[in-house]
Amino acid sequence: MSNTPIISARGLTKSFLSGDRRIEVLRGVDLEVAAGESVSIRGESGSGKSTLLNLLSGLDAPDTGTLAWAGAPVEADRRAAFLGIVFQSFYLIPEIDALANVLMASRIIQVPGAAERARAKELIARVGLQERATHLPAQLSGGERQRVAVARALMNSPKLILADEPTGNLDEHTGDAVIDLLLGLCRETGTALVLVTHNAAHAAKCARGLRLRDGRFV
Amino acid sequence: MPWYLYLALKQLFPSGRKFPFFTVISMLGVALGVMLLVVATSVMGGFGYQIRQMIVDTQGEVQLRDRGFIEDVGALQKKVAQVPGVVATTPFAEGVVMLQCDRKPAFPVIQGVDLDSVTKVIPLDRYIRVGNLSDLDDDSIILSSKLALSIGARIGSKVEVYSPLLLERMKNDEVLLPRQLTVVGIFEIGHQQLDSSVVLVTLRLMQDLYGLGHAVHGVNVKIAEGADPDRVAGAINRSMGAQSTVQAKSWIDANEDFLFVLQLEKNMIFFLLTFIIIVAAFSVMSSLLISVVRKTREIGLLGALGGKPRHVAACFCFQGFLIGLGGTVGGLAMGFGALALRNDAIRIFTQLTGSEEVLARFYQFSQLPSHPVRGDIIMIIVCSIVISTLAGLIPAWRAARLKPVEALRSE
Ligand SMILES: Nc1ncnc2c1ncn2[C@@H]1O[C@H](COP(=O)(O)OP(=O)(O)OP(=O)(O)O)[C@@H](O)[C@H]1O
Ligand SMILES: [Mg+2]
Repeated sequence: MSNTPIISARGLTKSFLSGDRRIEVLRGVDLEVAAGESVSIRGESGSGKSTLLNLLSGLDAPDTGTLAWAGAPVEADRRAAFLGIVFQSFYLIPEIDALANVLMASRIIQVPGAAERARAKELIARVGLQERATHLPAQLSGGERQRVAVARALMNSPKLILADEPTGNLDEHTGDAVIDLLLGLCRETGTALVLVTHNAAHAAKCARGLRLRDGRFV
Repeated sequence: MPWYLYLALKQLFPSGRKFPFFTVISMLGVALGVMLLVVATSVMGGFGYQIRQMIVDTQGEVQLRDRGFIEDVGALQKKVAQVPGVVATTPFAEGVVMLQCDRKPAFPVIQGVDLDSVTKVIPLDRYIRVGNLSDLDDDSIILSSKLALSIGARIGSKVEVYSPLLLERMKNDEVLLPRQLTVVGIFEIGHQQLDSSVVLVTLRLMQDLYGLGHAVHGVNVKIAEGADPDRVAGAINRSMGAQSTVQAKSWIDANEDFLFVLQLEKNMIFFLLTFIIIVAAFSVMSSLLISVVRKTREIGLLGALGGKPRHVAACFCFQGFLIGLGGTVGGLAMGFGALALRNDAIRIFTQLTGSEEVLARFYQFSQLPSHPVRGDIIMIIVCSIVISTLAGLIPAWRAARLKPVEALRSE
């Protein structure tokens, strides 16, 4: 059971129709991530990194190829419990405070009980924001917002976290801190991580580094 | 609370914001529509109610008439009294006379009432403003208020009454002197037309003026509390037997056309004012649509977190519902508040414009009546909440159609 990869993709292709031209973004991507493993993906802008993450997260369907989550087929209903996503631009809900944003991930699955509330509080504390739990996103700095997003991604104890340039909107120092936090938490909880980044230093912190070019890993 | 309801509430009333401006403005639109509907239907209902009350108070609930005169009214009354649902009866005679006071003439409708029984059927004493019904005898008269004012009569004044019988006799070269009567009372019903053109005398005097002998024109019937006037009228008709030409009619039946117009008028007003709510609903819809566009990326995020499209839709539909609910509650409060203050408001308005007379003459009433009917109010509540919820449907559908990937890509 522990040998089953968390995620396994075979020959994923994806193309987009842009006007009357078809752009082939992914031309056969193979990827396997083991439980608790951290993988970095680098590649030039427009090389298809975000497109790949959308396929891996099941938000978009590949044209061809197969994808399995922990050995089982991808289903939208499984997503919330199976994986957490961290985006470049945080995407917090502005009307509710930091704690409620973290709790939102679990709220979507079921009405949260005491255990979920306790976990959300603990995660907020774990990302160093216990003083800011009741602040609205607008009252937080960029780094603080991304930490809330990290806590939200971890809320449902997922097997895998997909992070798409999580430091893209942060200054270097803040970005380093967020990456350290993310990697540390994943290691602690045994969560696998796929990290898309432009930053070589951040990529180097992952167990394995991949590079996307011309629609394939090289 | 499911997440979509929770989020709907939070989007309408964000944490940490004391005054949810957009929400309040949207609700206010609905509230204004509801308020107008409540006020308009209640005032219309008030007019209708007053008019019905007035008809019943002046005619009784059921009226009996024959083709011509009713000769043996005592026998008829006894017979009618047996019918279940009948509480009391009183005979009457009516006509038109010329009335003169200090050479000022008037041509009022004259009602002859039977003093022994009239108050058991018609609450006349309730409307006597000056004087007393018990002072009325065969040499006296009670005038309506506006009529008394226009001919300058007051209690104790002498008036001369010329009946059509006088003209009849004149053709035969007989000379009959007009009857001199003393004013012993003034009544006011609150209806412009009745208050300016009706006088009351005893039945005996009326029979005398019109040369009726012992005959009367009809009998007014009071029915038991809660009894159906139409049903009692039917029962009376059946008890009369086949060869009788006496006809009983309920006030509803007798005023059918009039009541129909009244109801039609009210329905039209309801129909027209409902458009105000629809207009308000459109503004709710457009503000929810703007909110969907503004929140495109958050909606994408909710999808990415595992939210189902139909729950995203429910989130926006629920916002429409909440705006409708809040607006309706506010509108009811505003509407009933306005109704409570209506006469003060009108007094101030008419004092400012000096138009009190116009109001009374034009609308036939001295005060703005109000009679909210529970059915109308429930109808208003249901309509406005349903319409507002429907207004949330299009934005909800837009939101549900957004694909998370595309929503998240949008900048
Ligand atoms: N929905 C779409 N319709 C058309 N073209 C698309 C769509 N999504 C992505 N593309 C194209 O696919 C290519 C890859 O896009 P993608 O966002 O995956 O790049 P990326 O590697 O994430 O780049 P960056 O580092 O700038 O984020 C781009 O050329 C983009 O124009
Ligand atoms: Mg990208």
